[in-house]
Amino acid sequence: MTSNQAKKRRRKRKWLDWIPLMPFLFFCLVIMILPLFFMLKGSFTGSEGQFTLEHYAKMGVSIYAISFRNSILLSGITAILGVIMGTIVGYFICQLRSKRAQELVTALCDVTSNFTGAPLAFAFIVVLGSNGVLTLALREYLNWKIYPAFSIYSFWGLALAYTYFQLPLMVLLIIPAIAGLKSEWREAARGLGASSGQYWRYVGLPVLTPAIGAGLLLLFANAFGAYATAYTLTEFRFPLITLQLGFLLTGEVFRDPGAGDAMGILTLLMMGMSIIIYQVISRRGRKWQQ
Amino acid sequence: MAAMNKRTAVPGFAIGCFLFYMLLPIVATYAFSVATRWDRSILPEGLTLDWYKAAFTDQWFIIVFKNSLVLSISTVIASILLIVPTAYWVHLRVPKARPLLDLISTLPFAIPGVVLALGLIRLYARPPLMLARTPVMLVAAYVIFTMPFMYRPVANSLEAVNIRVLTEAAQSLGASWGRTLRQIILPNILPGILSGGLLVFATIFGEFTIATFLVGARYKTFPMQLVYFTRRDGRIASAYSVISFTIAWTTSLVILWIAAWGAKRTSGGGKHPTKGHTTGVVGD
Repeated sequence: MTSNQAKKRRRKRKWLDWIPLMPFLFFCLVIMILPLFFMLKGSFTGSEGQFTLEHYAKMGVSIYAISFRNSILLSGITAILGVIMGTIVGYFICQLRSKRAQELVTALCDVTSNFTGAPLAFAFIVVLGSNGVLTLALREYLNWKIYPAFSIYSFWGLALAYTYFQLPLMVLLIIPAIAGLKSEWREAARGLGASSGQYWRYVGLPVLTPAIGAGLLLLFANAFGAYATAYTLTEFRFPLITLQLGFLLTGEVFRDPGAGDAMGILTLLMMGMSIIIYQVISRRGRKWQQ
Repeated sequence: MAAMNKRTAVPGFAIGCFLFYMLLPIVATYAFSVATRWDRSILPEGLTLDWYKAAFTDQWFIIVFKNSLVLSISTVIASILLIVPTAYWVHLRVPKARPLLDLISTLPFAIPGVVLALGLIRLYARPPLMLARTPVMLVAAYVIFTMPFMYRPVANSLEAVNIRVLTEAAQSLGASWGRTLRQIILPNILPGILSGGLLVFATIFGEFTIATFLVGARYKTFPMQLVYFTRRDGRIASAYSVISFTIAWTTSLVILWIAAWGAKRTSGGGKHPTKGHTTGVVGD
């Protein structure tokens, strides 16, 4: 056998090696890629099949613009709250002397970060609804009537419920980064005469920055795509982009397919960009954790 | 002494507040589900199991529980059959395809349930196909939706044990393909498959959004009934919430336990085959 034939055979085998991947790739194409592709196409197609930008133009006005603004605000604010509180809590968890206590709190975070959707919304109605446990306790003991200034069915009510699943996710993200802060660095900084503030400013925070930035983006995406929590609390009354999409989808007749497609594509863009940047940053941040 | 107190007071207070925020909704829901009345006073007026009885005797309970169970188990099976052989083959023979697979399996994180449902309905709900609004399509959508949860732990196990060397070693010692897979490969990636499968199961059992839009009232699921009762009868809703949450946390704890078990089994190689924690887009 000449080497040429062998090479040819090897190349042929390499090509054949891809065949067992086909069922998986075909499945992803049919169930994920094609629907998104036709959504993209539909978002640029008018009622007569012509190319148009009118669906995107609609996104800048009325209920669509309000929904996007609310979704961005809600996701942004709960991401920031989650990142700040999660970093602080994560730091204190790492400081706990008892390994057992550390493991317990981390396990709690793992469980609660998956506690979302309808059961979470219902739990917040029990705690902070107009006759909620905490609502009554505050009224009784502190004479503080939180209603009607606050409502669990309003923006800040939603923010409180969203932060519930954001915070533990951030704790889980930040703990490996905090654990990666080597005690030698701190000792070295102290040995060179740095104060605790200087240590954090020049060593601690810069090392944590990638994890914090990555957390911010992941938490943003985490809240932006959420639906069930907000739906259970407000039905379609509070304008969020996912609820708006859901509203278009209810009923057998599709109300405004073009607008739905455009909303879907813009949501994908927001989420996709957050996830991509999150991946890039967290991959870069990981080098400190070796 | 005072300095000592101050040093522990701040972390203690912060963790205390955190625990209060995290535990209160859970504890309150559990308590609410066994309380006779709890809308007039700080503490429940009495204890009862009536709400569970009401939930269980409702004719829908068995139906929605069974439907959600069928959906979750079907998704776990379909997901394992589709993803595990593919991931194994890629790690064994087509390392070039790994970046592609990593990318595809991360994509679902960027696709909210409601957008996936919209895409499927727009493409497949029109004649002549009319496939979008069936339980089978729902399971297909679920396999995509939970793909990162299945692929990541399995891929991590495959990387941790260097599957290529194991496979070649087994075959050079004369083991058949069947024996290699059964006795060498499968036991090594089992922790990954188990924790992935459990996470998929728990996610789908509590999934509301995609199910509502794809099948809706034609195939009512447990979360749909929970949402229905949050508006109709808070007492029964609390029983549903407790059941739903209990399934979720039991699964999480089993996954953590499997991760610890997997780490112990492969100790020596520093890398954890399965990360117990789920860091990804999990909010709904």
